[in-house]
Amino acid sequence: MKKVKTLLHKYILLVIGFILLILPLFTSQYEFYVVERGVQNAIQVLGLLILIGYSGMMSLGSAALLATGSYTYGILLVKLGISPWLGALLAIIITTLIGTLLAFPSFRLAGPFLVVTTVGFGEIVRILLLNLESLTGGAYGLEGYENLFADSRLVYAFMVVTLLLVAVGTQRISNSKLGLALKSIRQDEVAAEIMGVDVRRAKMVSFALSAMLAGLSGVFLANLTGYMSPDSFTSAESTTYLLMVVMGGMNSVVGAIISSIVITALPEFLRFLSSSRLLVYSLVLLIYLRVHWVKSSRPSCAGVAKKLKINIGNNKSGRGGGNG
Amino acid sequence: MTVAILFQLILNGLAMGIIYALPALGISLIWNASGLFNFAQGDLLTLGGYIMLTVFGKLNIPFIPAFMITVAAMGLLGYALSQIYFYPMLENKVNPQIILIGTVAFSVFIRNLVLVIWGTTPQTYTNPFGSQVMQIGELYLMPHVIWIVAIVTVLLSLLQYFLRSTMVGIAMRAVAQRQTASWLMGIRNDRMIALTFLLSTSIAAVSGVLISPILPLTPSMGGMIAVKAMAAVLIGGLGSFSGALIGGVAVGIAETIFAAIVDPAYRDIFIFGILVLFLLFRPGGIFKAQVSEKV
Repeated sequence: MKKVKTLLHKYILLVIGFILLILPLFTSQYEFYVVERGVQNAIQVLGLLILIGYSGMMSLGSAALLATGSYTYGILLVKLGISPWLGALLAIIITTLIGTLLAFPSFRLAGPFLVVTTVGFGEIVRILLLNLESLTGGAYGLEGYENLFADSRLVYAFMVVTLLLVAVGTQRISNSKLGLALKSIRQDEVAAEIMGVDVRRAKMVSFALSAMLAGLSGVFLANLTGYMSPDSFTSAESTTYLLMVVMGGMNSVVGAIISSIVITALPEFLRFLSSSRLLVYSLVLLIYLRVHWVKSSRPSCAGVAKKLKINIGNNKSGRGGGNG
Repeated sequence: MTVAILFQLILNGLAMGIIYALPALGISLIWNASGLFNFAQGDLLTLGGYIMLTVFGKLNIPFIPAFMITVAAMGLLGYALSQIYFYPMLENKVNPQIILIGTVAFSVFIRNLVLVIWGTTPQTYTNPFGSQVMQIGELYLMPHVIWIVAIVTVLLSLLQYFLRSTMVGIAMRAVAQRQTASWLMGIRNDRMIALTFLLSTSIAAVSGVLISPILPLTPSMGGMIAVKAMAAVLIGGLGSFSGALIGGVAVGIAETIFAAIVDPAYRDIFIFGILVLFLLFRPGGIFKAQVSEKV
């Protein structure tokens, strides 16, 4: 049964990858850009899935790590003039290091304390981006760097392949020793420690992986837009990423990818919502949380609930309940 | 820097700090009663400010009735919110992380609701306290600074009296201490938690009304204040009444003085630096609240 499931999941990922790869043939230039952003967001959201979904550590500073990746890439290329590939590598490494530093508060803090710390981190990065004008260009933004590939289609193809690799990796982590350690921390940290899980190490790895993917996503973002400004990395962005993780089911790689692409693309289909996009999203999320969590024992909602099953705090349904 | 200027900075910081202290107090009250950290507190403040803008600025209702209408409307909203949304989740023992996400979603919802209804342009209404600068000796003060301190002092004394000396207040504190026991004593937990939400949103509304002479109203205003209020409540000690007040005032004064002496652009970083120091070396805050069990 489990083998069939894993096979099915690999198959689903390949289908998604195939659709994404042929999609540019049918879309206009602008729609293509939206799909590109969707794929780029999906990479970021997979990182958050490891952090929020697997290990249960909420972060509202994810846009700041994305900004770190983007800006490091841009600054290295513009100010130091190094090659794009080296710049991308360094950007990812630096973002990973900074993200790993965020793990240290998590050793002692939990719940709202940790979230406030990440909010603070997000604000600090945003203020630094705005004020270190000689380095980041301040409110005017930063531009004039080279892309990884000259052809934007190649960048896109590379991005889709990366997304698939990351997705397979994230999925494998889910049932690996590390993934199980992270999930046990989410359920009960003390119990996990007693069972021999190295909680500090697991938390650090979780933060590092999440930051690495944020850095990767940031490099791609820089490639897609060709321009970056502090406005693209506000706390509203962090909230949107959180929303993508939650709507994706918080435990499912495929769900996370689909929800990030759909939520990125949705405003294009719902033009009349242009100014109130987040209003609708948050309302949907509020209703979803309320309906799903309060009445989950009733059979009427079970059908809907099963598809978007969240495993957190729901010990009885166990690991089989989710998609992971 | 002369002593007079320093004193003036401290007074201005005090007014700003009180604006931070009120949402911080709201967060603290709700945390105590239900173990829920309300990320929407700052946006409730924005909503209060905008309701006041409509009631006082547009409909031209005199200040005191308009103030009361705003606070009452926000209080009702808080009561309904708890009864309809948050209490059922608490009662079902939903994972705190999910409720936390709920409050974040709620914060985004209010912010965008304000944006859709009132628009993004910064708005303001006539300063009800007068905009004539007062001179006391060497001090130059705006009258609203004194009014904010006075109004909030009176309101907080009333709140303290309510929580300490009335039957309902004592029942609310009983729920905050131990829900099962208070339930067995015949207290309706759902109503008491809803009342806590009512108090908390009303306090946010007061803060939203009082802020308008200091800052123009924008939909994202609450987010900026919430960040400081959250820092204040953790510095002061989550769950402690005086902790929230002292924390808020300390943050307000510290950032005003830092902005004047060093660099206004980096004052938020300064506040977060202090917060991180507190979280690392004294996680319970100034008034060490017993939060370790709840975390």
